[in-house]
Amino acid sequence: MQEPIPVTVLTGFLGAGKTTLLNRILTEQHGRKIAVIENEFGEVGVDNQLVISGDEELFEMNNGCICCSVRGDLIRILGRLLKRKDRLDGVLIETTGLANPAPVAQTFFTDEEMRSAFRLDAIVTVVDARHVARHLDDGDESVKQIAFADVILLNKTDLVSPEDLRALEERIRGINAVARLFPTRNCDVPLDRVLRVGGFNLDRAAELDPKFLEAEHPFEWAGAYPLPAGTHELVIGHGKEQEHDGHEGHEHGHDHLHHHHHHHGVENELKVAVLPVTIPPGLGADDPEPGSIVAAEAVADRLFSGEGSLLPAGADTMPGPTLRRLRLDHGNGRYLLKVASPGHYLVFEECGEFPLHVHVDGSLVRPVWQRDYHFAHEHNDDVGSVGIHQLGDLDGTRLNDWISTLLRTKGGDIYRMKGILSVQGADKRLVFQGVHMLFDAKFDRPWGLEPRTNSLVFIGRNLDRAALTGAFQACLT
Amino acid sequence: MELTKHWAARLDDYAIDVAWSPDGSLLAAASASGPISILREADGSPLHELPGHDGGTNALAWLSSLASAGQDGTVKFWDARAGQHVATAKLGSAWVEHLAWGCSLLAAACGRSLTLLNPDGSIQNAFDDAPKTLSAIAWRPRPAGGGKEFLATAYFGGVRLINPEERSISREFPYANGIHALAWSPDGKWLVSGNQDPSVHLWVPDRDEELQMSGFEGKVRHLSFDLTSRWLATGGGRDVSVWDCSGNGPEGREPVMLPHEAPVCALAFQRAHGILASGAKDGAVHLWSPERGQPLRATLRLPAPAAKFAWSGDDRFLAIGTEQGVVYVLRVQ
Repeated sequence: MQEPIPVTVLTGFLGAGKTTLLNRILTEQHGRKIAVIENEFGEVGVDNQLVISGDEELFEMNNGCICCSVRGDLIRILGRLLKRKDRLDGVLIETTGLANPAPVAQTFFTDEEMRSAFRLDAIVTVVDARHVARHLDDGDESVKQIAFADVILLNKTDLVSPEDLRALEERIRGINAVARLFPTRNCDVPLDRVLRVGGFNLDRAAELDPKFLEAEHPFEWAGAYPLPAGTHELVIGHGKEQEHDGHEGHEHGHDHLHHHHHHHGVENELKVAVLPVTIPPGLGADDPEPGSIVAAEAVADRLFSGEGSLLPAGADTMPGPTLRRLRLDHGNGRYLLKVASPGHYLVFEECGEFPLHVHVDGSLVRPVWQRDYHFAHEHNDDVGSVGIHQLGDLDGTRLNDWISTLLRTKGGDIYRMKGILSVQGADKRLVFQGVHMLFDAKFDRPWGLEPRTNSLVFIGRNLDRAALTGAFQACLT
Repeated sequence: MELTKHWAARLDDYAIDVAWSPDGSLLAAASASGPISILREADGSPLHELPGHDGGTNALAWLSSLASAGQDGTVKFWDARAGQHVATAKLGSAWVEHLAWGCSLLAAACGRSLTLLNPDGSIQNAFDDAPKTLSAIAWRPRPAGGGKEFLATAYFGGVRLINPEERSISREFPYANGIHALAWSPDGKWLVSGNQDPSVHLWVPDRDEELQMSGFEGKVRHLSFDLTSRWLATGGGRDVSVWDCSGNGPEGREPVMLPHEAPVCALAFQRAHGILASGAKDGAVHLWSPERGQPLRATLRLPAPAAKFAWSGDDRFLAIGTEQGVVYVLRVQ
């Protein structure tokens, strides 16, 4: 059986620079036989290249549901492209600016012939740095084009300020945390970053800033404190006392580009919630979050999306599912925390900039666990990425049940899904990728001496990180 | 029964279609890149090479004259014996992918549009566009006792029956998936589609009945009826299934399974006899008598998989166009 022919899908709004990139590829790759399938308003003209017009004909497999639609014209054209004595070196598909990339990607999952003859190498999205923010605000399709991408060219960077560029990168990362992102001027990226990249190479996912893969929360910090029963103190700000061994504004871990700090929320108010939590004995600072904390985060997500109740300076509060707005005086405040039963309590803080301490009998208590969170962007695009990285073996049956149910019930919201999994009893890595409800999985190479780490990424709309993580963990043996 | 090589000829690219002249003295073979070779039945020597179509030739049909369809949106008519181009009908900008001669008209599918052409290349009628690109066409043979000739056209979403005399769409049968192949039983009773889903669907247009057979390994792209209209052979996997269509038809009946070791890629019953030829992706070509206890009659392996089969009118020769561009003519004795 011959190696499948790599297919590159070029998406991007009109004027972003797709044609520039396409012409570069065709010119620089002249030694290779590459077929180009362009949209009907084709602008490409390079001699001796095979250029075919598609007409974006949709085959709706299931009552018009886009998750089950494929591109009929592509099936026909690709089928005809196989009828050659000499094999093609590659196929490039250019979509119209407004195209939803899902049916294009799904075409490669339609049947055995498509799967064995072609390999979806990468979806490359060219983004116009000047206009993309407006497109992202206006509509769905550009969000999808970014969400679906394996490679993103943030093009025309010379036309925006460095600050705007950073903000754009951040926003794009918020939607798609795993795509390779290249700032370019005239799509001037080395072509080996765009062609035959093996788009679905999750091996590098671990190198990404893990924060990009995390859910966004409406709070920035949480710490778990062991507290006896009694009345304790919540101290915000440095006040007159300078503490040297407490939680000093969580400056550590703030060196990534997300935290160019500004206060979220109302001036001189700080939203706080205190929730009881069960901490497994021996939990280390760098250990993965136990399920109990994930569950508490979900509760806090809900609380922080509400208004909360204002707590006057010096008033007392109790742990529980209530959001408190603490009134601060120049960043300082003291409140009483009444704890009925001893145990661990998670204190969530809206803005991690404020030092927060818990005093028991006048002395400082250290958190046994704490974490900085990736605060939700101001542009709260509801499309985002969830990544899971965990050592261990998965139970094949449970994994299969989970994925089938997930795709059946949430496939419409999951745009892309990629993973390298360690299945119990299999000495090879299980590599899979999916688009909406369709997915393809196969064992590739043996794990060998490599640690059997599962890596999964979901990109989609309204993804529930806690639920995905929890369900994944339930598949571990 | 013996299957032997009569001759072989080489095209410049993938042999996308082959068609015998009505008298069996010539074979036309189209290369996917465009040129059409006219080869002598006697020894495979080339009589002419016709230029075919810019961008590639897609299909051939040879009855009153040789017609070819191409990616240039045209149907061309040729005097094959003289090696002359006779007429060109420009049908549109889309590929012309399907061609079929009826009794006197040539049906051609160009994108979503169906056109009927007279043998001189003039247009008899152009029909309204189908909702999606036409994916197969098939003429319903004129029944022995007289009656109307119909054309069936398939697209993603259904099948249309077209009445050529009235120049109208007479029936529409919805089918909610892609259709790769259409065939009529020679007696005109059954209309059969091979589908993407993967399944085979049968209609009895005269009685408004439908049957469905599913459980295929892959999409069904190859269908062939024997001349008695009893046996329907279908591809769609490593096995050829042969269905008994007598009486109420094949639904619920076990088909005769004729095994290959690789996916089936070509299938054709003889025109006047009962032998079925099947080809698979491993290059194997088998001849079968499906009703026999030991159905395999002869076998041979080609160096490349078959792309297209065509039996000569007298059933003595099986022409095979292959993916590597070699055309084989096999003799059956």
